[in-house]
Amino acid sequence: MHTWTQRLLSAATTAAFLLLAACAAASALDAFHAPSVQAQARVTKINRFHKQLNGNDKVMLTFNISANLESLFTWNTKQVFVFLTAEYENSKNSLNQASLWDHIIPDKQHANLHLEVKSKYPLIDQGSSLRGKKVQLVLHWHIMPKAGVMIRDRMPLSEFKLPDVYTS
Amino acid sequence: MDWQGQKCAEMLMQLLLVVSAVAAFLVGYAMADFQLMLLVYAGGVVLTALVTIPNWPFFNRHPLKWLDAAEADRHPRPQVCAATTAGKKKIGKNK
Repeated sequence: MHTWTQRLLSAATTAAFLLLAACAAASALDAFHAPSVQAQARVTKINRFHKQLNGNDKVMLTFNISANLESLFTWNTKQVFVFLTAEYENSKNSLNQASLWDHIIPDKQHANLHLEVKSKYPLIDQGSSLRGKKVQLVLHWHIMPKAGVMIRDRMPLSEFKLPDVYTS
Repeated sequence: MDWQGQKCAEMLMQLLLVVSAVAAFLVGYAMADFQLMLLVYAGGVVLTALVTIPNWPFFNRHPLKWLDAAEADRHPRPQVCAATTAGKKKIGKNK
């Protein structure tokens, strides 16, 4: 009553369970990994700042980013999604977040960024509260592991002040 | 596969799988390569399957020795004798 199919099934079940255990262990090791990220971002130019026809403020920015994200990568990292947001406060909301730029880093070799980019997405305020507003640039990253849960973190970078008048 | 062979196959399967999982994890961590861990483990699983799933002659070295029918006829099963139970009524009843 002990056939090869029974042995195959019991071997497959044990193998799957141990694979799960190995993945869980790899994921658990990430909890002890303390990355040290160095990053700077600075707005170099305000390309256009105007009020849209629907009454919303819209800003197109150019900024410098230098970020060394190599320490985020471990043997269990598939890729890192990094994005820059502008965060500000107005009378309607205590926190407004707008994504300005994002990037997918596929491996450690491409994790040292030195870029001067135009904002991929415009900063649009739902309203017209951006004139003379102090805006905080924040770098966010989502670490997508090969096994385990996604790890998110953020780092506030520089602040900048928008001009008091529209540029066009 | 005989009884000893079944026990041996089961233990061998678990031992080989655990050893290959631990080895794969250590190699993967040391080389910082997740894919290498999966490959080493897959190799271990295939090896385990080859060793423990087919009915190798190795697992059949302790065959059960059955008595043949003629031998059983020569030594019939002892019958409960009426004379002995009559003397010990209570025990006989309990039986």
